[in-house]
Amino acid sequence: MNQQLDTAIRHSLAEHARNRLAAVLLVAFVPVWYVLIGAMIPHASTAFRLRSTGTTLAVDGHNLSLISAGLNTITIIAGFVVLTATRRAMAFDRRLVLSGYRPGALIAAKTVAAVAVALVISGYAALVLLAFWRPGGLGAIMLGFFLGAVTYATLGLLIGVLVRGDLEGFFLIIMIALLDTFLQDPVDNPLANKAVLEFFPAYAPTQVAAAGAFHDQILIAMIALSLAWTVVFAGLAFAVLRLRMPHSSRPQPGGPQPAGAG
Amino acid sequence: MTALAARGIRKAYGRHSVLAGVDLEVTAGELVAVVGENGSGKSTLLRILAGDLGPDSGRITVRGRVGYCPQVTVLDEALTVAQHLRYFQVAYGIPSRRRAEELVGRLGCAGYHGQPVGTLSGGTRQKLSLILALMHDPAVLLLDEPYQGFDWETYLAFWDLTEELRTAGTATVVISHLVFEQERFDRICHLRSGRIAEEVTRHEPAA
Repeated sequence: MNQQLDTAIRHSLAEHARNRLAAVLLVAFVPVWYVLIGAMIPHASTAFRLRSTGTTLAVDGHNLSLISAGLNTITIIAGFVVLTATRRAMAFDRRLVLSGYRPGALIAAKTVAAVAVALVISGYAALVLLAFWRPGGLGAIMLGFFLGAVTYATLGLLIGVLVRGDLEGFFLIIMIALLDTFLQDPVDNPLANKAVLEFFPAYAPTQVAAAGAFHDQILIAMIALSLAWTVVFAGLAFAVLRLRMPHSSRPQPGGPQPAGAG
Repeated sequence: MTALAARGIRKAYGRHSVLAGVDLEVTAGELVAVVGENGSGKSTLLRILAGDLGPDSGRITVRGRVGYCPQVTVLDEALTVAQHLRYFQVAYGIPSRRRAEELVGRLGCAGYHGQPVGTLSGGTRQKLSLILALMHDPAVLLLDEPYQGFDWETYLAFWDLTEELRTAGTATVVISHLVFEQERFDRICHLRSGRIAEEVTRHEPAA
């Protein structure tokens, strides 16, 4: 099992690393988005409600929009990277399972790879942010970015196993990520402080990042809420994936066995 | 000795019946072709035999391990040839890639180890797909249109390999919509209206 898991993790990471379009998007799109948002949004005071504490903060709208822009880019890219890898490997994974690979090892490897993708993307987006703003709670922003990235990485996995075509998947990821992160920013959306937005996946990461940056606070409940989204998306994706995989079998030489092949 | 036995295999997609009770038995060392027109259910039958698809009813028994080469080359474009070989070595649980490397050489894939599959030609991908089905020395080999895209040299190498496998006792089923060189097969099964409608057995010339 360990050998299967090790190999699957290494190959899953290699697959992600070869996604050149995602690398270009990450390197170029993140700073460009910060530049555009930075140029468009003035340093004006904006009311941001930390719903978890009930506090309404007067924050710099420009800086808050940079957080929102970061979340916007990393959710799209994380979702795209994992969706692409999931779509590309689906038939191949079936063949591996038919050959004796344990579905659990493949699924665990996908999880590890998705977390690694989220770490790299969120870390990079947080570091690039420093070129535009030196926030007090960089650690909390990184954490918020990671939570957003890992949530959308698992959403990419879920959409990847559900949709029939790549294009539908990409369209869904982009639309959901854009709407979700846009709605959380009170500079873009006057209704951003409404309670209904608590039920969106980017809500908790935005709260974690903003609380750290503007209120020097770590919101444990929001971290848990965000991880709950991740667990739900990942759980659903893995259930679908497991159902669609053939039953692994490795017939032993000498005795008749039900069919199973590689 | 029977290596593969399928009894009463039925499969329908919605109301469209594809297989209506297929019986097929292949003995060790036998090379069998399953032929039929487009849409006659050949690939569905092979997928069921390989365990990739469940039949609606019927029973399949296999003696030993199976090697399956699907019609469409099912590979991961982002991974290299070497990574594919490693993945399947681990999947089959075999200690070495000696046999795989031998097949790589014989089918003219040497020199591609470090190349991502997405950059390979269609013929080279097909060769790799075949190697993945053969590298664990299966007792039962299921090949769906295996020589599509092969150049002449590889086509001949494929038949040499098949002949060796037959001698070694591998039961081989080859799916094809057309069968060239019918004399190479021990038996040719014609799939028609969801059943094996006709079987032609090669008779060895008297010594």
